[in-house]
Amino acid sequence: MSRVNYIVWGVLLAFGAFVIRESLNHKYYGSDFGPGPGFFSFWLGMLLMVLSLVQIVMIYRRPAEPLPDGFIPSREGIKRMLSIMGALTASLFLMEYLGFSLTMMGFCIFLLRRLGRQPWWLTLVLAVAASFGATYLFGLLQVMLPKGFLGFI
Amino acid sequence: MEAFQHLMTGFAAALSPMNLMFATIGCVLGTLIGVLPGLGPAAGTALLIPITFKLEPTSAIIMLAAIYYGAMYGGTITSVLINVPGEAASVVTCLDGYEMAKQGRAGAALGIAAIGSFFGGTVATFGLVLVALPLTRFALKFGPTEYFSLLLVGLTLVMGLAGKSLAKALVMGILGLIFSFVGVDPVEGAPRFTFGVAPLMDGIRFVPVVMGFFGIGEILINAERSLTGVMAGEGKVSSFFPRRDEWRISITSILRGTGLGFFLGLIPGTNSAVASFMSYSIERKVSSHPDKFGTGVIEGVAAPETANNANAALIPLFTLGIPGSPTIAILMGALIMNGLTPGPLLFSQHAAFVWAVIASLYIGNIILLILNLPLVGWWAKLLKIPYNILMVFILVFCIIGAYSLNNSLFDVGMMIFCGLLGYLFKKLDFPLAPAILTLILGPLMEQSLRESLSVSQGDFTIFFTRPISLFFLILAGVIMVTSAWQAWPAAIREESKGAEV
Repeated sequence: MSRVNYIVWGVLLAFGAFVIRESLNHKYYGSDFGPGPGFFSFWLGMLLMVLSLVQIVMIYRRPAEPLPDGFIPSREGIKRMLSIMGALTASLFLMEYLGFSLTMMGFCIFLLRRLGRQPWWLTLVLAVAASFGATYLFGLLQVMLPKGFLGFI
Repeated sequence: MEAFQHLMTGFAAALSPMNLMFATIGCVLGTLIGVLPGLGPAAGTALLIPITFKLEPTSAIIMLAAIYYGAMYGGTITSVLINVPGEAASVVTCLDGYEMAKQGRAGAALGIAAIGSFFGGTVATFGLVLVALPLTRFALKFGPTEYFSLLLVGLTLVMGLAGKSLAKALVMGILGLIFSFVGVDPVEGAPRFTFGVAPLMDGIRFVPVVMGFFGIGEILINAERSLTGVMAGEGKVSSFFPRRDEWRISITSILRGTGLGFFLGLIPGTNSAVASFMSYSIERKVSSHPDKFGTGVIEGVAAPETANNANAALIPLFTLGIPGSPTIAILMGALIMNGLTPGPLLFSQHAAFVWAVIASLYIGNIILLILNLPLVGWWAKLLKIPYNILMVFILVFCIIGAYSLNNSLFDVGMMIFCGLLGYLFKKLDFPLAPAILTLILGPLMEQSLRESLSVSQGDFTIFFTRPISLFFLILAGVIMVTSAWQAWPAAIREESKGAEV
């Protein structure tokens, strides 16, 4: 666990340094006597760095701890997570071109088959309900969802 | 007395068949919208505004207020059943509500939440009647200095939500603040942390972050383990009433939650999220078993759910024109769309409207109790839907919710990114609630600090020379010291335990 903690607090330390660096691009004091755009972020970055450093020192002084049970996901677990993240990311990029309904149809079919292992008929019924059904329902509520190249779904 | 006469006139208007029907429709729609995971009260209320376009202003706002109340309760349902809070106010309900659901006690959690919400909401509505007029007069005395100090109290509460590690809670609070500063600086107009990305100029919106942290993050955590058996409430939901031994605890928690929520409701700037977080912290502090919080104790649901309804977030909106939460901000937008400007003048210029809406809040509470208590079992049937199917629907609604706020795919991307962050934070035992709280309070705090210092020409002593501000600063200091004091021995114990291992 110590190595994981070193990495986590190390990343936070680096992020704190990054925030400080960014804040230095802005004025510390504003033109109207008050703090400028860089004031808050500078001190937040400092606080983050100090906290991270203190934690790193504490981890160094503390004896090594084993990883909690189940901390590292199983291979199947990783595959499931990657499937979800992959489907979400793909749908984000495809939605503008394919439109909401078609993208969500593919999204649902993929996840229901890959993770749900549902029969084809149920997969199709649920996918149509979640994609075209949602488009229709939210259309009634005047929520405009991306239409894509076909221009109507 | 004057207020009660106005209220009676308000009841006469609110109890007209048409307004009663709109209130009922609003409660049903709000609960449905709130139940849809990832949609939440803010997005739900915003989505339903077009429905009210053709109504006259009083009916429109009565319906929207009912939607808000319904969605708040709907958000509680999703917090308990699937660990997805509708809004920041329901975040804390997840901690014990979801754990209760996992033990097959979702019904009891939802039942006590409905009872607490009804009691708190009713007291708050009567409170609004009592304090509205004096508070409107007092409103002119509050300046940015007092607001800043008040918000500082809110931020120090982050320490009370420390969980296992104070350092981790502080880091999450800081990260929430940093997130909140992304966008165009409100005073100088300079873009901060935008890296040339145009959509970041508008800042990071609260809803995609919440949906990502709590919706996508939770789904990823569940997917990592297994997709069967992770859904809350594998056991049967047999009763929506607490056990006999839990009633006494629940009643005292509800009373404390009502008192606290109502008190905080009087203070402008503190939204229902602050009330629920603070209420949870207090319950843990006064409890004889604080270590059991987070494992499914009923007071962990009863108190915050009561407090966030007793908070009467509409008090600051109606009396001072200050929206206390994203949903209230949407209601404020709806009021302005209907030609009504919230603030002290509302009571004098549109008295009939205001009092009808206030009366409808009380009626809405009764409708919600009638609607929800018997239907708790029905809502709990959502548990029977296999998680691997429900999960896909949650993801679709999260995408719709994030997109529909601003018709922006960037917000969907932000939600996915926050989902990944949420997963990592949960995995590493970093509490998410402090980040959400500071994300909400950050911009308000920065703005009031900078306005105060503009007034004082850069002199920081302004915060100590104004009595109300000084009171809030002392309160913030006391909370900070108490929280640090409580966390310190725990850290030492943790260290010695580590040494033994």
